[in-house]
Amino acid sequence: MAERASERLLRLLGLVAYLDRHEDVPVETLAAQFGVEPEQIWADVDTLWVTGTPGYLPYDLIDFDATAYEEGVVRLVEARGLTRPLRLGGREAVALVAALRAMAAALEPSLDDEQAAVLRSALAKVTAAAGDAAAAVDVEIPAAASPAIAQAIGDAVTHRRRLRLRYVDARDVTTDREVDPIRLVTEDDRSYLLAWCRASHGERLFRVDRVVGAAVLDVPAEDHDVPAGAGVFVPAQGDLVTLHLASTGRWVTETSPAEAVRDLPDGSFEVDVRVVQPAWLRHVLLQAAQAVVSVTPQAVAAEAASFARQALAAYGPLAGTPEDR
Amino acid sequence: MAPSIDAAERLLNLVIALVNTQGRMTKQQVRSSVAGYMDSAAASDDAFERMFERDKDTLRELGVPVLTVTDSRYGDDVGYRIDLDTYALPAVDLTAAELGVLSLAARVWQDASLRADTTRALTKLRAVVEGPQASDLLAGIAPRVNAGAAFGPLVEAVQERRVVRFTYRAASTGEVRERTVEPWRLLARRGGWVLVGRDRDRGASRSFRLGRIQGGVRPVGGPGGFDAPTPEELAAATATWARGPERVATLAVVPDRAAALRARAVDTEFDRAGFDRAEVVGAEGMLAERDLVHVPYRSTWELAEEIVGYGAAVLVLAPGDLRDATLTLLRAAARLDERGA
Repeated sequence: MAERASERLLRLLGLVAYLDRHEDVPVETLAAQFGVEPEQIWADVDTLWVTGTPGYLPYDLIDFDATAYEEGVVRLVEARGLTRPLRLGGREAVALVAALRAMAAALEPSLDDEQAAVLRSALAKVTAAAGDAAAAVDVEIPAAASPAIAQAIGDAVTHRRRLRLRYVDARDVTTDREVDPIRLVTEDDRSYLLAWCRASHGERLFRVDRVVGAAVLDVPAEDHDVPAGAGVFVPAQGDLVTLHLASTGRWVTETSPAEAVRDLPDGSFEVDVRVVQPAWLRHVLLQAAQAVVSVTPQAVAAEAASFARQALAAYGPLAGTPEDR
Repeated sequence: MAPSIDAAERLLNLVIALVNTQGRMTKQQVRSSVAGYMDSAAASDDAFERMFERDKDTLRELGVPVLTVTDSRYGDDVGYRIDLDTYALPAVDLTAAELGVLSLAARVWQDASLRADTTRALTKLRAVVEGPQASDLLAGIAPRVNAGAAFGPLVEAVQERRVVRFTYRAASTGEVRERTVEPWRLLARRGGWVLVGRDRDRGASRSFRLGRIQGGVRPVGGPGGFDAPTPEELAAATATWARGPERVATLAVVPDRAAALRARAVDTEFDRAGFDRAEVVGAEGMLAERDLVHVPYRSTWELAEEIVGYGAAVLVLAPGDLRDATLTLLRAAARLDERGA
């Protein structure tokens, strides 16, 4: 896709402001500084060279040293008043500050001291540059894992080390395995470790809040071919279950991968979910029970109800009766 | 419009002209003297008008302070200039490593318009950083945030204190209704983004989950359309979203179960012998064959919702309100098979 005019304008303005404070910068250095290809910098300088104040006579124009330019070095001779770097726009500042705060909230426990310090200082400096804009957003997301586990995972990912993981699945079964970490993916308030599982010879997505033990091994992680889209959830294959929920159960559609949602006239709704892991659906039903109108197939509801009755029985006298309270 | 000058070049010429102008430039002066507009002089008045208005909006959106200047000597004739006093970025000395963090932040948003916003901010900051970014510090870490389409327009409205209108589905009733809201602040919390503001129809502060906004967010009226909330009003409105104080739950857990809860456990002074039997009658029998696990938490409902997933394997001993919350969920679930299919 062609670059948008506004993106290019900002780089053109940025180039002049940068070159005003730096003499004799090679084109390659400018390209690295602005994160573009050298060809783009050549084109940008050519454009800057023909822009200026109305009249557009030679002394009206932004000007560069032609001899240096022949050698691939950019020296600004005339800036036409564009020497100041442009301030952040309101939305830009908020978007950047909010992104950094979300990163800090999600990642901080996974970072070592140096990484955490850089993240914090970058956030502090950008917040200061953003001025009042920074107050528009407030990010507070609890950490997914204990600090020691989060840090071991972060360490293994950034330094490419093999990990020994103790992991609990949705059925509450704990297993130990060795994995080669690929990426740490934080998705809103959830964190996942994408890793190559050496036992099952394939990539797996591990929920960080279900990792109950992590030890960084003194072995480098091996490289594995992983599809580019790995780390993103795909609609799973599994039995189709339809939940009819009262409106207060709306959170179910917001936290679960729903195949379809049908809003009904009375404010209630039906949601279709594919169930790979029955324990997961049972947990959803236990949490949403007060909002459940019906479940299809009904056996799913019966199983959850019997599970809940066993739990109540285990409480014994402690459960009391609803009338007692 | 002349194809020889592209839009970025025309915009740049407009910026330079409005920065260097003595006093101000009128639209007609822009049309007759600024490169990019000059060439389009043959085009209709309408075409010029549209192009200039769009360019002016684009520049303002990018943070360029384009001021409208009226001059009594020229009657109603409106002129423009760029205000250099507010043009500049305050001094920021970002290191190469910090810039690397910012470039990662620019990829956080899953929403294209927010991603464009962060990318622009990054381009501006690159102009003031010594040396190119160092990107290896956080290698292998991919944070992603889905704020949804409503986030961008709401950010703008919060900043400009502009009243907004949107269609909202209330989860409490299922009612879908138009809301007119004075937007105060956006909060990221567990479960997504929340707008806190004053609901004009209700005349009181309300919270709105961004995921429950249907369709677009439309501004009503201009900037400065309402008074900013007082600190007290804001504190009261956001209080429900504050994290509670940390407490410690005491759970009775079947051996080898609930490793995820055990991983978060702490040692406490909890004294099994001194356990208040008056409050927890029958606890002694329940504790047989179970481990006591102490788990810190801040939200009673969140922990109760987690615990019910373990069924009989995890029982709440204390505190009482956590046990009540858990039992309430279990009692509702115990009647699940009484509902129709």
